[in-house]
Amino acid sequence: MRRVAIIGCGQSKHGRRTDVNQAELVAEAVWAAIEDANIGPEDIEAYAVGNMQGFGGICQPDLVFADYIAAGGKAMQRVATGGTVGGSTAHLGYYEVASGMYDVVLAVSWEKHTDSAEPGATTGLLHVAFANLSYMMKIGMDMRSFAIMGLAGAAAGISAYQAAFYMARSGCRIEHFDMVAAKARRNAAKNKYAHLKWPNCTPEDIAKTEMLIWPMRFGHVCPASDGASCVIYANEDAVRRLGVKEVAWVKGVAAYADEEADQGESYQGTAVVDYSDQTGAILSAKKAYERAGIKDPRKEIDMAEIYAPFPHQELMFSERLGFFDDGTAWKAVEEGVTEIDGDFPICPSGGVNTTNAIGSSGMQRVVEAALQIMGKAEDHQVPKDVRNAVAHAWGGQVQFNTVMVLGDRPKGW
Amino acid sequence: MGVDRYSGLPFVARFRWNVGKTMEKFYRSFAEKKILAARCEKCGYTVVPPRQICPKCYSTISEENLVELSGKGVVESLTEVAFKLDGKGGYIWLEKPELLAAIRLEGASSTIFARVEGEAKVGSEVEPVWAEKIEGKPSDLISFKVVE
Ligand SMILES: [Zn+2]
Repeated sequence: MRRVAIIGCGQSKHGRRTDVNQAELVAEAVWAAIEDANIGPEDIEAYAVGNMQGFGGICQPDLVFADYIAAGGKAMQRVATGGTVGGSTAHLGYYEVASGMYDVVLAVSWEKHTDSAEPGATTGLLHVAFANLSYMMKIGMDMRSFAIMGLAGAAAGISAYQAAFYMARSGCRIEHFDMVAAKARRNAAKNKYAHLKWPNCTPEDIAKTEMLIWPMRFGHVCPASDGASCVIYANEDAVRRLGVKEVAWVKGVAAYADEEADQGESYQGTAVVDYSDQTGAILSAKKAYERAGIKDPRKEIDMAEIYAPFPHQELMFSERLGFFDDGTAWKAVEEGVTEIDGDFPICPSGGVNTTNAIGSSGMQRVVEAALQIMGKAEDHQVPKDVRNAVAHAWGGQVQFNTVMVLGDRPKGW
Repeated sequence: MGVDRYSGLPFVARFRWNVGKTMEKFYRSFAEKKILAARCEKCGYTVVPPRQICPKCYSTISEENLVELSGKGVVESLTEVAFKLDGKGGYIWLEKPELLAAIRLEGASSTIFARVEGEAKVGSEVEPVWAEKIEGKPSDLISFKVVE
């Protein structure tokens, strides 16, 4: 395996982007990354692209926008792994360079939620949910039962159950979710690409918002954003040849699936009873750290960008990824450890809780972790020295996880 | 036993695509029977429908570089269709086959695809057929017809 670095990062402005079509949105992030790396499109040999299957209402969007991103006549491959897709696409780009197949590869992920005629992400979510419905059709399941399954709200529905499981397991309270959500909004206010900005937001502000589906308040829920994120990878020789100054090295990646945590989508049962187990995250982290040569993640890693559309997930995943003991992350939040200027900052960008263009979100964690290492995160750069950072994504059928460890030096230096 | 439909679900799921500023201008201009193209400042490639990034050299094409075409064009290639879909999963055979053509509009580098009325051949000159009531929508441009 060859050493691989991220040499350029690009993001579109995220939010309601009715001013652009899907191809133009993707192009915005791609050309920003090419400019950031200070290279030309002719230097890129292959493209890894991906978004949520069906979300933008275009089945194979890569076919449509290839000539918006200079991919004509190049190798291009699309990934679709549900919510994780940004993470999986980032991994694919890395594999292509690490394997020696290409020297310079661009990876881009995106989502265009406003192309849904119904509010938020409804249309996109339902197009994924319908695939699951079809499964239920096969056994003639009563559609009224559908509404009480987590599946009815797709990731959001499942997350309400998951949050309740997590509270029972850890002893944390809704007030801790308020704290995490307030931190996310304050951090987002410092990030020019973020969607839901709220300077000086307090947990009390969040506590005033309506309870939507216990234990989740309106102030806990991520927005449905439009946006695209992009990274460019190069091997060691290409970094030198292209004269790139600032890079973030990929030290280790891993992706694991868990048993499908979908309440047994056919009512046929599942081995997963507690949706806050997230064994896939534990396995991904373990393997990625092993590959990165990291023995004590809490000590050796300096910050993390966690894929947490809902605040309980930041707590839950920060434990599964080995930063805190099982059931204790809320104590670290009480102590301010995960604040932007804390000892272990989590999601200084504001994270997925404030900006969720689903396909983009997994890639954006990689972008944000890389920017922190390169010291290019501008107003939301953490004050502490960042040598190693973790980018995580969650999705699939809510049971799939990806982890990437990035560093200021390649593994073994 | 088979399950072939479901009803009574409390939602609908439709798409409403944003076409972007450039394409929006393209369709709005139909209200004045205008067809706009984007001309790349750098390489001169002129693409219709217009777009923000040149498909040839990938330069950004700004709104100032939108140009109005005459609407006249030449048939580059064509095909003949013998039937149409009836919207219920079946076919309707046409009394007279219809012509679909790749048309290069005057001043454009790219081609567009449209139905053509009249006895068209490769090389035929064509012009747009506009709807009686034009509203600045895709449906305004009905087809093209051979110039007599
Ligand atoms: Zn050009």
